[in-house]
Amino acid sequence: MRHRIGIAAALAATLLGAAACGGSDEGGANDTSAQALDGKGKTIKVWLMVDAQSSWKEVVDDANARFTAATGANVTVEYQQWANHLTKLDATLAGNDVPDVVELGNTEMPKYVFSGAFAELDKNRFENSANWLQGLSGPCELDGKTYCVPYYAGARVLIYRTDLFEAAGVKAPTSYAELTAAADALKAKNGASKKFATFYMPGAYWYAAMSWVYAEGGQIAKKDGDKWTGTLADPQAQAGLQKWADLVKAYSAGDVTKDENDQAQIFAQGESAMFYGNGWEVGAAQEQRKDPNDPNSELVATKVKDKVAAAPMPGIPSFLGGSDIGVTAKSQNQALGAEWIKYFTDTKAQEALLAKAVLPNATNLLDKAATVKGNEATALAAKSSWFVPMAEKWADVEKAAVLQQMLRDIVTGKKSVADATAWADGEIEKTLNG
Amino acid sequence: MSTTPRSQRSRAGTVAANTVGVIFVVVMAFPVYWVLNTAFKPASEVLSFTPSFWPQNPTLDNFRSAIKAPFFLVDLRNGLIITSTAVAGAIVVGFLAALAIARFRFYGRRALIVVILGVQLVPLLALLIPLYLMLNQANLTNTLFGVTLAYIVLILPYTVWTLRGFIAAVPRELDEAALVDGCSRWQTFYRIILPLTGPGLVATSIYGFIQAWNEFIVINTLNNPETQNLMAWLLQNQTQRGTAWGPLMAGALITSLPVVVFFLVVQRNIAVGLTAGAVKG
Amino acid sequence: MHAVDSPATAPPEPVAPSTPDTQGARVRRRRPEWTPLFLALPALVLLAALLAYPLGRMVVLSFQDLQLRHLFSGATPPWVGFDNYTQILTDGVFWSVVLRTAVFTVVSVSISIVLGLGIALLMGRVSNGVRVAMMITMMFVWAIPQLVSAQIFKWMVDADFGVLNYLIDQIPGVDFANHSWFADPTQGWIVITTLVVWAGIPFLAITLHAGLTQVPQELREAALVDGANAWQSLRNIVLPILRPLLVIVTTLSVIWNFGLFTQVWALRDSKPEQEYQTLATYAFTQAFGRSEYSLGSAISVVTVLLMLGVMAFYVRQMFQIGDVD
Repeated sequence: MRHRIGIAAALAATLLGAAACGGSDEGGANDTSAQALDGKGKTIKVWLMVDAQSSWKEVVDDANARFTAATGANVTVEYQQWANHLTKLDATLAGNDVPDVVELGNTEMPKYVFSGAFAELDKNRFENSANWLQGLSGPCELDGKTYCVPYYAGARVLIYRTDLFEAAGVKAPTSYAELTAAADALKAKNGASKKFATFYMPGAYWYAAMSWVYAEGGQIAKKDGDKWTGTLADPQAQAGLQKWADLVKAYSAGDVTKDENDQAQIFAQGESAMFYGNGWEVGAAQEQRKDPNDPNSELVATKVKDKVAAAPMPGIPSFLGGSDIGVTAKSQNQALGAEWIKYFTDTKAQEALLAKAVLPNATNLLDKAATVKGNEATALAAKSSWFVPMAEKWADVEKAAVLQQMLRDIVTGKKSVADATAWADGEIEKTLNG
Repeated sequence: MSTTPRSQRSRAGTVAANTVGVIFVVVMAFPVYWVLNTAFKPASEVLSFTPSFWPQNPTLDNFRSAIKAPFFLVDLRNGLIITSTAVAGAIVVGFLAALAIARFRFYGRRALIVVILGVQLVPLLALLIPLYLMLNQANLTNTLFGVTLAYIVLILPYTVWTLRGFIAAVPRELDEAALVDGCSRWQTFYRIILPLTGPGLVATSIYGFIQAWNEFIVINTLNNPETQNLMAWLLQNQTQRGTAWGPLMAGALITSLPVVVFFLVVQRNIAVGLTAGAVKG
Repeated sequence: MHAVDSPATAPPEPVAPSTPDTQGARVRRRRPEWTPLFLALPALVLLAALLAYPLGRMVVLSFQDLQLRHLFSGATPPWVGFDNYTQILTDGVFWSVVLRTAVFTVVSVSISIVLGLGIALLMGRVSNGVRVAMMITMMFVWAIPQLVSAQIFKWMVDADFGVLNYLIDQIPGVDFANHSWFADPTQGWIVITTLVVWAGIPFLAITLHAGLTQVPQELREAALVDGANAWQSLRNIVLPILRPLLVIVTTLSVIWNFGLFTQVWALRDSKPEQEYQTLATYAFTQAFGRSEYSLGSAISVVTVLLMLGVMAFYVRQMFQIGDVD
């Protein structure tokens, strides 16, 4: 199996190399290279996730404009929904009419890189590539080659109600002990309401729970030679899960089977004091679009407007989520695709993204991110982060909802932490080594 | 309408029965009422910890939002194209086969009936994997044509079986009289059978329409949003980050509307069609 | 709405097996008949190309190991013999899925049939106004697409914003605020079963009610005159007459509920946990979620084999009841 990928990748590399090396390495003196990137009359198809449409469409438009000015080629961007987008990608990549450029979540990327879906890229052509965030660029690497480019990152922070904190006489916590102390004070003050959740933490929010695992020095799985071993049953991981479960049981009133998708909406009801969310959720909790299907509709203030702030989650490293973007192996316009990615991920585009409460793709831009208002906490959080196991089949573990079920069993008390983690380790090993 | 001999029943019995009947209606209708209630509420009332049982500020915003949402209109158009083409195809092909089964004895007839009854029970879902690979190889994934083919096969067995019943109901003597009168086979078919089975054709095609309109698993797997139908749109919209329940319920209402209307048109035939022909529900 | 009351009378199916329908054709033509085959040809071609061929392909696939990379590159997947079957048949998870699907089918079909029959009988006892209301309500419920009804239920049982928790929470002394209906699989399956039964009752009640109106009034009255009570009249007169219809609707319900997919899929956010997997969702998740197409095919093959018994029974019933031959 490995062998076959190797060949496919090498083949892709030669094909791409022929087209790409002219672009920047040999300079514009070479006529053929100019031709290679003369995209007049050509149109490249780009698949981006819907976030780009709803939150930073102007960044996309700007990159398109600069790309078209430079190459003469046009761009069609198609926005994909997160739900089921992989099934669609599979179907499309199996055919011949494929998009030239595709964005994937960084946890989804390895499976596709291993399966030969993406073409090799010349890392040096992309700005800041020496400083790419490891959590984003790791999934792009295979056998020392690069198959995709980091696009943006997100880190999770503690989001809290300033008014409730003030009323309870507590401040943003700087240690885990302070956090639970603050939670106790808030619960004492507001706990009379049945709907009140001191710390809203839905039970299937595994990005959060795993942060507690990494905080205690645990991890999800590790690779010994060729084999993956689930490590959630290790003492450190169990300790982390126990600590997380204690928090959920003591302070959260959330649905233990929900994930974090609607936590900002729930927080906006004004019945929670804290939640653990992405940087952009600070805004999402305070203002919501009047028409949720129209990114241009007016913003409506929620009950918690101007009462929300963010701080790094004390003592808990953040999961470094985000997206990568690559050129498909079957694309007929690989050089143009790579060129478009170059514009879309360069410093100019990244700086524009900073204003959208997401994090840049490179460490040298993180400091700048920290100076943007509202980004301070996430930029700090990104400096201490963890990432899922870099395994070909990691995405399958997510699809099979293994971690979600383990967490639910722990929180509902259906299984002990030891039993639940042992089960999850088994499932993870079965999937990753399968 | 024949009714039970109420004279012999106690009045109390009828009152009790009516009470149970009314409770049944309330329980059955509650979800329908709730979706209407949700669809006409502004977003602030939809997402509220204390739900109101009547829209305080009724609005059409949710409907506007659903219609304006990405792919809604495209998927509406696709759904109409796919569904009507599939139904037309299935009716033409199905009618011919039904004619063969209803009016002729031939070698393999019984086998054909078994196949047609049997395949209705093979879940289409089970065939999804090979269907997907097959259409992929033929470059037909992500096209309206590929899904249309799949839908023809989805509704064909039911169509054949139901039409067979309608044709069989046309008295054979009519055909024979026409033949005696010097009509050709084709003329018999055209002048006698087709007009007499007209209502049956309408009912069958509407039921086929409903089947194809409601399908979403196949199309959601084979196609991208720009070549999907409204059911798939609903599914996508639901699992998007943070469900917007108001527009979703409005979209669900719009999506159900043609089905409900058609359903009411053909309701008298459906029960029979189902028990006689059996379709996947 | 009166027409609705007797759908079974409207269209053509004569219930009594009719025999003489063959003679006409046979007497007239003795030589081999090509016309019918010609007429059936397009249907046969379509069924062969889009049902028989995929079915065969599915069987072939279940003996191979098709991975994503084969899909992308077009390479032929390797043969693995019975590996996929060995893998699923020795997997406890698979058997628990089979068992769960079977239990759900039995439970949901039993409840649906009993309730459906009860409602059908009730419709014979209520006043005209109530009957029309029942009929209209059921027509609407019946017409709602499966996916839509699943989404409505998902919305109603939402832990945070759902109306169900709110209503139950109003009962004094009961705390259902933020109650999660899917944390405990038993409760989750109660929700799913309720949904399936709710959506299934209209078809059953309306069909059975139509069947009941066919029961000759004189028979029931005669029974009552003879001193039979309601239960005896039901058991000895109504049920025997209804039997063929009951067999068909039960078989159909078994087939539909055994293939349960949509409701689970929508209620569990397209990502059902292991405890909510049915055979249909399990095969789909294996194939399209985990890109284990061959494993998914093997599961589908086993599913079809499990269904075969029910199908054979159904086809036989259709031959017995209809005027097929």
